[in-house]
Amino acid sequence: MSAESQAAPAVAAPACGRTIGPSLYGLRPVLLPLATAAAMLLAWQFAAVLLRIPSLVLPTPVEIGRELWRALPALLVEALPTTRDTLMAFGAASALGVVLAVAISYSPLLRDMLYPNLVFFQLVPKVALAPLFVIWLGVGSPSRVAFAGFVSFFPIVIAAAVGFAGAEPAALRLCRSLTASEWRCFMLVRFPFALPAIFSGMKVAMTMAVIGVIIGEFISSQAGLGFYILNAGSRLDTADVFAALVVLCALGVALYGAVALAERAVRRVYGRH
Amino acid sequence: MPVVEGNHCIEASAVSKIYRGGTPAAVEAVSSVSFAVPHGQFVAILGPSGCGKSTLLMMVGGLEPVSSGSIVIDGAPMTGPRTSIGIMFQDPTLLPWKSALDNVLFPIRVLQRPVESYRETARNLLERVGLDGFEHKKPHELSGGMRQRVAICRTLVYDPDLLLMDEPFSALDAISRDEMNELLLDLWQQYRKTALFVTHSIREAVLLADRVLVMTKRPATIVEDLAIPFPRPRAISIGESREFNAICAHLRERIEESHDRPRSRRTGAAREEPAP
Repeated sequence: MSAESQAAPAVAAPACGRTIGPSLYGLRPVLLPLATAAAMLLAWQFAAVLLRIPSLVLPTPVEIGRELWRALPALLVEALPTTRDTLMAFGAASALGVVLAVAISYSPLLRDMLYPNLVFFQLVPKVALAPLFVIWLGVGSPSRVAFAGFVSFFPIVIAAAVGFAGAEPAALRLCRSLTASEWRCFMLVRFPFALPAIFSGMKVAMTMAVIGVIIGEFISSQAGLGFYILNAGSRLDTADVFAALVVLCALGVALYGAVALAERAVRRVYGRH
Repeated sequence: MPVVEGNHCIEASAVSKIYRGGTPAAVEAVSSVSFAVPHGQFVAILGPSGCGKSTLLMMVGGLEPVSSGSIVIDGAPMTGPRTSIGIMFQDPTLLPWKSALDNVLFPIRVLQRPVESYRETARNLLERVGLDGFEHKKPHELSGGMRQRVAICRTLVYDPDLLLMDEPFSALDAISRDEMNELLLDLWQQYRKTALFVTHSIREAVLLADRVLVMTKRPATIVEDLAIPFPRPRAISIGESREFNAICAHLRERIEESHDRPRSRRTGAAREEPAP
């Protein structure tokens, strides 16, 4: 499952998304958090002004907004390599994670060999391994993709393995009673049963992939948002750091949203048959 | 009902099932069971929970291998699942992401037959069981009884010759269960398929079946093979007759005899379940 095929249905999905009711109460789950965030920004603005906090330490939201507007073209250029590396890492992690989870779910030997170790690795602070990837793969994009893929691989394989194992045994038995092959039972029953788990693993993995790429860019890069943040920080241009963080947040939300929309699209396809 | 000689749909001879997995002592779930079912007969296997009757049914369905003995279906030795058999499980086991209609069509999809040409059959079956208008509902929008109706349709849609039912109504409330029994009597009247129906309800067995096999624990074997004399079509009201209750009482006695439990001195109407 490549990152591209994940993202592709997401473009079409909003057109057929469900409409939100016209009443204000129906908008409450959207309006309330937005209003809270706006109130906090407002409090930040007033606090920074009234307490005369130097903008080098904490720029006001207005200053950050102005800086964002000024630097946006440059930031979007820097966002490109970050996005590309993240998608590649996420795609590779998804494909490998799901394939390994399938292998684990069909081979008790593989499961007993690998699963405890995977859970153990899940607990290791993998971020600390980033310098190793630079040693192995150099300072280019491959080392960042490999590192981000490595970081985001574990949530997918563990979630997918749990999902495949959780397929209702009775439904699998029904499928077998209809003389279906193991592969057909997998495609018709086990895989759709595991979809919610796989996608929740993918949502975690997508945020991990962004983190992995940014850390990679901190360590060894001449481009990307991570590099931009580090660079602005070394110039003590705090407002510029915040501007880059805003773009990074938007990127993270968009990528997470793409996975969520892909999930809805895939579930709708399965629901139709 | 007289048993027709030859032309048997199911022939089980000296079938045993022994589980060895994990435990040092082997567990004999089914012990040397033999019986034959002629075509078109409705047979109930009656016994307490855990007596191995479900295991026996799964062996007839080819989902569990026999440890010894043999099962012959339509003259061919049983080696694995086959499409001439339809199995209904205790749970409706509907796929939660599919509509009622698509769940009914699921076997067609598994068997890789043309789904479109079965759509009408599936719709008619749903209508037949009183679910017209619910075709596009998802399982979570249906009641327990409705889900089991969908499961019945799913079993009938590909027209198997032999129906195996594993306590299909045991998870339902008493009223839904009566409705399902009535529906099953009605459907069987129409389709006349050979049926093996596993249940732990004496009344259900007597109401539905042409013949009741009583299975008991320790040893897990058949202790009684009783023909049920009521003519068809049957109405659920036969459950109120004296003869019906006498048969129930007799079957209960046979079950209790084979247990070590002290026998209660009950006479007349069976009291295990409320009369419908």
